[in-house]
Amino acid sequence: MTATADRPVPLEVEPGRHAQPGSIVGWLASTDHKRIGLLTLGTALVLMLVAGGLALTIRGQLAQPQLHVLTTDRYDQFFTIHGSLMIYMVMTPFAIGMGLYLVPLQIGAPNVAAPRTTMFSYWLYVTGAVVMLSGFFTGSGAADHGWYAYPPLATSRYTPGQGVELWIVGVALAGLGMLIMAGTVLWTVLLKRAPGMTMLRLPVFSWSIVASNLMVIGAFPALLAAVGILAVGRVRPDLFTHNEWNIGYQDVFWFFGHPVVYVMFFPYVGAIAEVLATFAGRKFFGYKFFVISQLLFAALSMSVWGHHMFTTGQSSNYYFSLTSIALVIPAGIEYFDMLATLVGGRLRFPTAMCFALAFIPQFLIGGLTGIMSGTPALDYQIQDSYFLVGHWHYTLAAGSLFGLFAGVYFWFPKATGRMLREGLGKVHFWLWFIGTNLTFLPMFWLGFHGMPRRIPTYLPSDGFTTENLISSIGAALLGLGAMVFILNVAESLGRPRFADPDPWEGHTLEWATSSPPPTFNFSARYPVPPVHSYAPLLDLRKEREQAQLGVR
Amino acid sequence: MPFRNVFDQALTVWSAIAAIVFFLVTIILLGAIARNRAKRRDTLPFQASKNTPLELGYVVALALIVGGLVYGSFLWNSRLHNGVGLAQAETAPATRINVTAYRWCWEFAYQAAPVHVTGECSTGDFPTVVVPAGQPVEFDLTSADVVHAFWLPDFAAKRDAYPDHVNTLRMVFPQQGRWRGRCSEYCGTHHMTMDFYVQVVSPEQYQQFLHSAGTGV
Repeated sequence: MTATADRPVPLEVEPGRHAQPGSIVGWLASTDHKRIGLLTLGTALVLMLVAGGLALTIRGQLAQPQLHVLTTDRYDQFFTIHGSLMIYMVMTPFAIGMGLYLVPLQIGAPNVAAPRTTMFSYWLYVTGAVVMLSGFFTGSGAADHGWYAYPPLATSRYTPGQGVELWIVGVALAGLGMLIMAGTVLWTVLLKRAPGMTMLRLPVFSWSIVASNLMVIGAFPALLAAVGILAVGRVRPDLFTHNEWNIGYQDVFWFFGHPVVYVMFFPYVGAIAEVLATFAGRKFFGYKFFVISQLLFAALSMSVWGHHMFTTGQSSNYYFSLTSIALVIPAGIEYFDMLATLVGGRLRFPTAMCFALAFIPQFLIGGLTGIMSGTPALDYQIQDSYFLVGHWHYTLAAGSLFGLFAGVYFWFPKATGRMLREGLGKVHFWLWFIGTNLTFLPMFWLGFHGMPRRIPTYLPSDGFTTENLISSIGAALLGLGAMVFILNVAESLGRPRFADPDPWEGHTLEWATSSPPPTFNFSARYPVPPVHSYAPLLDLRKEREQAQLGVR
Repeated sequence: MPFRNVFDQALTVWSAIAAIVFFLVTIILLGAIARNRAKRRDTLPFQASKNTPLELGYVVALALIVGGLVYGSFLWNSRLHNGVGLAQAETAPATRINVTAYRWCWEFAYQAAPVHVTGECSTGDFPTVVVPAGQPVEFDLTSADVVHAFWLPDFAAKRDAYPDHVNTLRMVFPQQGRWRGRCSEYCGTHHMTMDFYVQVVSPEQYQQFLHSAGTGV
């Protein structure tokens, strides 16, 4: 079987050089999935720095009791925009954008399906982010109702400023953009795979994008409906004196709000699976079970939203506790497969692998505390306390963000054609490994000792001082680590060390083409290799080794 | 303290399970990192990339564990709602207090007597709700404006307060004493200072309190 026999051969492009003129228009009106993908990923990373700056200011204010770095209203805007940026504008777009960049390469396709629509979805996203942030420049400041914007607080009666309206428009635009982008990438996976690339030969990462984008299609319409309800509340706040509008909003919002947590998790776990398998030098263990577990995870995720609402007294404790705890099954399968890959591997430890390895115990803390908050008797204490802040930061920061950086260090050479410095990468890793745990571990104790979330300061008599100080020191290390990462990227741009097509001995098709790949991903010089499993390059490498042995 | 007892029990069991799982995973992980370094190995420890019977068996084991966890969760939930130390769901306790949360303080109105307690939270004048020790108490929670939450951290008890809706929270305070309660659902500028106190007194003192129209405890 020759994979490229009946495909048009795209123009040959020299590796390391842009296929189109590197003009601004060339980027902003591109129909190349790699450029749209990089725009999405780059925008998300810049916004992550903004959200991180907000978080560091918050941690600065909480480092000691009764500090007033910010006014209370400004503090409320900071935590609202920190959460809103990280969820709607950073972790979700980065996850879907990674799929946009990598999936066509991994399945041997020349481009994403519907590239112009995909470009449009990026513009919706970036416009949404700008609109949300522009709230800071209005007289009353940015939105300050928290990232889930419960009415009646978020109605015009209790939060009158334009910041809220800008927040609603921003979330709607970005949400719609992500819905469209997820749709075109899903379309690509389903219909544009190279010959030989059956669904059960899709790389693990591409499968995680399939599961993730299915959830986006199922859940993001509920987000658009929820912000529609909020828009009604800006015009007719009187409606929200009726309970059904308020509790109804929460149901619709969390119907989106829980699946999105896994949208911010699956692609990173998929990236980690690829990194683990590559640096273990073996096929990922338990491929089929992993795929099934992701689909089971995605399906279950649509039925657990009420566990955000145990304390409302208007949710079913039994049903939502059952479905939430059942998530242990797919999560347990994923852990088994990751560990088995390591136990049966021959391990190398570049920076990407370090981030992937640290993910395993750190995300586990997030998962185990998640079982606690899925148990109503415990949730009555945990809900809206710092314990919960610790819990989801262990899943999203200690977990997904480590997966994000594992992915960045792993695929940076492919996307840019340049290597990142390993030394600086290791410094970044250790600062973040220590910083993350210092920042978020003390929050569990703060929650048990009665510290509610979203308070701008506390009293010396509250007994929260030591834990908060440790947490703020950890946050400073995170800030330092981020600066080391920026330095690393700057080094690779200023004093480049060029990357080979396959610097890590990768397993999947993207490593068969040049770094960065040519316009249509594969070419006469870099054809799509034959695909016989979910690790086609590993198969080829083995065949070559066996052929050499045969010759001897 | 039924809430606290149930919470402590659930937390102990769940933490023990969590600790076992965490150490198991960490030991396997560290073991693999130590033993499988590429420098120390020329070949893979094993080649197989699947083992269906093993994985199926593991899934069954996981399902059994989930069954146990769900059983525990249900058991503690039913204890909180109709169980030990609390009045049965259908009989309302003698002490019932209407709690109205508003931006940004609390109002407590006793149903048995014309007694109201409120304060000015943002200036440090926190209201104190007086309840009898050892007897079931019911808080009927509602809100005058946005969503708030009635949280007693020392008792592991929390319920949201909604406009146009009443949530009931039944609990027993076994000891006399004074504890702080807080609003835990973010409600705007003065959310942080939206505190109150629960003062638990003997049943006799409680009756005195009601008869003296909310003075002299």
